[in-house]
Amino acid sequence: MKKLLAMILCIALCMSTVVGCGSTSGEGNAAADTTNQPAESAGTDEDAEEQTTAQGGMDAVAELDMSKTVKIGVLVSDSTTAESLAFQNYYKEYIAKNYNVELMYSDELVDAAGEKSAIDTFITNNCKAVISFSSFDRMAQLNQCADAGVYYAVATGTLTNDEYESVKTNEYYVGAIGPSLDVEFQAGYDMAKHYLDQGKKNFAIFGGALPYYTEMHIYRAAGMLMAMVEAGGEGANYQGATDKDGIVGKIFETATIETGSIGSINILGYVGGYDMDEAWFAKCGQMAQMDGLEVILAVGNGSDFFGTSAQGTDVKIASVDAYASAYGEAMEAGMLDYLAGKFSASIGPIFAATYRAALGSPIRNSEGNALALDQGYWVATSSEQFNEYYAVDSSVESPAYTKDMLDTLLTADYAAFSEFVGKYSFDDIKAIQ
Amino acid sequence: MSKEKIKKQIMNLAPVVGLLLLYGVFMIMGTVKDINIAYGMKAIINQSIVVAVVATGAIFIYTLGSFDISLGASVATSALLGGIVYNATGSLLCMFLANIGVAVFISLFNSILASVFNLPVFVTTIAMLSVLNALVLVLIKVNGTGSEIAVPAEAVKALDTTGFKVLILVLFLVLCIFVFNFTKIGRMQKMLGGNEICARLTGISGKKMAIIGFAMAGIGVGLGAFVSTIYAPTLTKNTASSVGMDVIIAIVFGGMPVSGGARSKITAAVIGAFSMTFLGQIMTLMNFNSGIGQMVKAVIFILVVFVATFNQRSKMLPR
Repeated sequence: MKKLLAMILCIALCMSTVVGCGSTSGEGNAAADTTNQPAESAGTDEDAEEQTTAQGGMDAVAELDMSKTVKIGVLVSDSTTAESLAFQNYYKEYIAKNYNVELMYSDELVDAAGEKSAIDTFITNNCKAVISFSSFDRMAQLNQCADAGVYYAVATGTLTNDEYESVKTNEYYVGAIGPSLDVEFQAGYDMAKHYLDQGKKNFAIFGGALPYYTEMHIYRAAGMLMAMVEAGGEGANYQGATDKDGIVGKIFETATIETGSIGSINILGYVGGYDMDEAWFAKCGQMAQMDGLEVILAVGNGSDFFGTSAQGTDVKIASVDAYASAYGEAMEAGMLDYLAGKFSASIGPIFAATYRAALGSPIRNSEGNALALDQGYWVATSSEQFNEYYAVDSSVESPAYTKDMLDTLLTADYAAFSEFVGKYSFDDIKAIQ
Repeated sequence: MSKEKIKKQIMNLAPVVGLLLLYGVFMIMGTVKDINIAYGMKAIINQSIVVAVVATGAIFIYTLGSFDISLGASVATSALLGGIVYNATGSLLCMFLANIGVAVFISLFNSILASVFNLPVFVTTIAMLSVLNALVLVLIKVNGTGSEIAVPAEAVKALDTTGFKVLILVLFLVLCIFVFNFTKIGRMQKMLGGNEICARLTGISGKKMAIIGFAMAGIGVGLGAFVSTIYAPTLTKNTASSVGMDVIIAIVFGGMPVSGGARSKITAAVIGAFSMTFLGQIMTLMNFNSGIGQMVKAVIFILVVFVATFNQRSKMLPR
């Protein structure tokens, strides 16, 4: 009897959920219709924008109604690194307290299915937009958001050219602001050149996620190699490649960096991946203590993996990451010499773009395309410089991008928005403040 | 009906009542908070279905009083190999068959290995977990871009509907209910789980039952891998990484005795999987962050298991 009852209840539940889904489409559409309203008005604004842009003037975006709390979902793929903690701190401690928004965070995501589930939860909770720090399947994220009439923005990094071409006219794609692959290449190039200009010749490279074909790490490494090819003298090349495309191609072929000479410059060692096991840490330690080594160039965080081994030696460590107190301590302890770091407020403009989209005023360029703007790093080469940057970066009272500055973006046209984002250096931002 | 019998009935129905209670709380809170309940129900199905399918098959293993810790890794391996097969053939049918074939093979390998070496199945699944995790990395490195194996989203989009996924669950559930409740296989498995010595003395082959149990679990894993792929066709080393643990929790949450035996219920998997997801959604509605949510879930989990097993504790059959 009880078995029968349990079975009936189980089948009833399945049937009710199917029935629920049957009505979901209707109700879901209703929900989508509601969220479509701003999009329709956005379309109107967009038309107006195109008209005014066509007239060659700055468009005046309609006054935004910020009286209602806007729910925005935030996809988080990492909640422990310095970079992600700094970003979260800026959103939680500054943005959420200064704007009429409710930011809803996902758990730490580890795969594309997790991203999809998190977006489902956001949509269920009536989020009007999603800002994504997770990149397992960005196209799927966008399509899922667009199907539900929810705006979608990439928080850091940018889409590949092919990806952007396929989604740039999607009305629910807000855009991406962050280091493009060109910026990543330049970051690696500048880092290596900094030491080549000092006459350093013996390098080791930490490839981070390069073995997993992570493009930003590949491009940073390619930038380093390009600088070495240029400084290596006549005939210098990396595995036969002498230009950017060639070097990037060589790295993609092997998913590693070959050690050896590039003209007069030597790559003495290479470690890639994030195996994080004993053998891997031993390899890191050995590389940091190689005879003759002068500089370790890391495409990501270098001081955590090589700092202890290199401490007390003359080996310099250069990293790409974010501004966090740990790096300040590493610099003071001589475990880090160069930091190209993202500043936490760098995610302010994409918030502004997403917020205004959710309020019914998405920003598009004159061709109706979504944002695709480059933003680079702040580079600190001394402890003093780091501390100056970090004081601004970690402030929740007066961060790099304050509310007053971000407010200007809520009504800016594409050109003004682009100009604002383009001035990302510390000095530029201080000048704007 | 005696007081004792009523109490027993209530206790036995505790997981179902718990699920209905969670459903009610979700509906009430959802209405109060004005969420999109219809979309939420769809999300709950999407989030539950893989665990429900895999756990339903795994009930056959748990009924024997056994335990498979490699189910999540098995789902990942099966999904990745299915993805590779799709990319090579362009056929969803081939992918489906690969999912099922690989999962059943892994599952049978586990049970046969245990039979050959006369080891507890649990031990072989621990070894298999390591092997499969390594295999996942190798497959991705050799056949993917280094970080993923992707089936084109357009290829699976037509199947990525709630109706299709529920259909898979219902069909598999009906099959399992039939085998478990209406054939002698289910009865023999329950007897083996309840008292192995007694079962052997009556002529029931433990090895044969283990192979059948693992084969059924393999079908569940294969279906889970297929559903996983159509839901999120970009497969990485972390695909289904939480499924293994979720299956264990779902089975216990659904009122299945961990020791297996006569009180095993095939429906426990579905009840548990949906209960867990409802609980997760309720935590979200209550604005609990991940850490607090996990702790609250853990407390509720222990309470549910306590209530569900209250009338069983002093009546355990001798093992």
